[in-house]
Amino acid sequence: MKRIVVGKVAEIPVGGRKIIVPFRGRAGIGIFNVNGSFYALRNICPHKRGPLCTGEVAGRSSTTAPPSLTDGFVGYEREGEIIRCPWHAWQFDIASGECLVDPDLRVKTYPIIIDGDDIIVDVDVSDFVAKG
Amino acid sequence: MAQTIDKLEQIHIGKKGAAPIAAPGWAGKPADRVTLVDCDVHHNFHDPHQLLPYLPKFYQEHLLDQGLHLPGAGYANTPFRRTRPDIKDPALQERDFNFSLEFTQKELLDRWNIDFALLTGPPVFLAVAGLPDPDWAAALVTAFNDWTIEHWLDRDPRVVNAILVAPNDPALAVKEIQRLAHRKDTVAVMMPMQTPDLFGKRRYHPIWEACAEHDLPVVSHIGGGSPGSTPTPVGFPSYYMENRMTRPSVASAQAASLIVEGVFEKFPNFKVALIEVQQMWAAPLMWHMDADWKAIGDQTPWLKRLPSEYFREHIRIGSQPMHEPPQTEQVYQMLEMLHADETLIFCSDFPHFDWNDPVTVLPKLDERMHRRIFAENALDLLRISDDMIEAVVA
Repeated sequence: MKRIVVGKVAEIPVGGRKIIVPFRGRAGIGIFNVNGSFYALRNICPHKRGPLCTGEVAGRSSTTAPPSLTDGFVGYEREGEIIRCPWHAWQFDIASGECLVDPDLRVKTYPIIIDGDDIIVDVDVSDFVAKG
Repeated sequence: MAQTIDKLEQIHIGKKGAAPIAAPGWAGKPADRVTLVDCDVHHNFHDPHQLLPYLPKFYQEHLLDQGLHLPGAGYANTPFRRTRPDIKDPALQERDFNFSLEFTQKELLDRWNIDFALLTGPPVFLAVAGLPDPDWAAALVTAFNDWTIEHWLDRDPRVVNAILVAPNDPALAVKEIQRLAHRKDTVAVMMPMQTPDLFGKRRYHPIWEACAEHDLPVVSHIGGGSPGSTPTPVGFPSYYMENRMTRPSVASAQAASLIVEGVFEKFPNFKVALIEVQQMWAAPLMWHMDADWKAIGDQTPWLKRLPSEYFREHIRIGSQPMHEPPQTEQVYQMLEMLHADETLIFCSDFPHFDWNDPVTVLPKLDERMHRRIFAENALDLLRISDDMIEAVVA
């Protein structure tokens, strides 16, 4: 394993992100701060290879029944925990990398370590592509 | 000891363009011929006031008083209030709806090695088809075409135009075609697909005749309509997803109308492309029409050939949004059933959220099929001359 400092904690506030390229290939990775926890995702969507990490961080709407007079209030949940790919808008759970609209898909995640002010990503040595 | 990487702002996806070279099944050399034609590139104005210099004073006043005053109960094809979030223009501080040629060059033409991009305008603007005042509709499309000429066409040989016409008064649509047909970069005519009446009706024949006269195809994009023209025969759907599901039925109705009313008997060199309506509807339409022609063709005796033959010769289908069936094998079956080597033209729908890039839109194809879908079908359809081709591949 190789540990790479990718930024400072203060750079990425809650709800923010930093995209680092090149990193494990040209597309890079995205580092996200979800409610104080940091996560790293590969910046390639497993659906159509779009730049997933540049998508919108949001939540999703939720309800228990179709709209009706007495039921079916449409709420909104998991604000800030979900990213939508900019191509085709498929949703992914930032923490786990799971695709929320297709259980067969998952985007690669990387372990993150916070060491003081440093955000550190753990990668295989073979994953690391040096700049230039 | 941890290593530090500098922050880079730029996101790199793909290599130098998506590149026919990298595309599945591709074996051609991009430099020596046209390899990629995109038949659906939505260019847009940032503010309707940009059209003011192209309107007569009378209609400038109208725009200032009424705005575009476009009708419609349709849906913008831009959920989440935006186009592709990965390509916003920092200078605009908002999502870019493709407001400038520079943006198209950077994000589409250069990145994906596109040889020709057919401009198709902002889809909401197709609602001119439902304007009650046909003269206002005609003034608006004329202004839009002139704005397009100045800000897009005169500046890049890769950018070609489907001139927008308003079908409200067909005589005014003919006038607009006659006004711009002489321009080399006029390679097609854009008709909104949701028109007040079906395409085969005789009121529209003068438009098709003018197109045929100038060897211009019609490219018809879903959109248009009017408050009285519902996207289904049983009214308006409640939700955007339902609305999207109505598109194939609109395309199917327009294709059947064109064929059965004998438009292609009347204008043998006239062609129509139906885009952003999916694809698979066309296969059962051809089969069903052929079966009916054998049984009840006596009721439309002006149809001298099988309806599917008119379809394959005269109607083209846009590749976006492409079906994603559960098994890859089903894609190949679909392409065969559609006669995709004759009928399918690549459309990206740039810059919308549901666009298709040229690399992942289809699985690996044999070289001939690849060339037909991504370049040759479009080159056969659009009025693109040899010197225009030389200008982009040189």
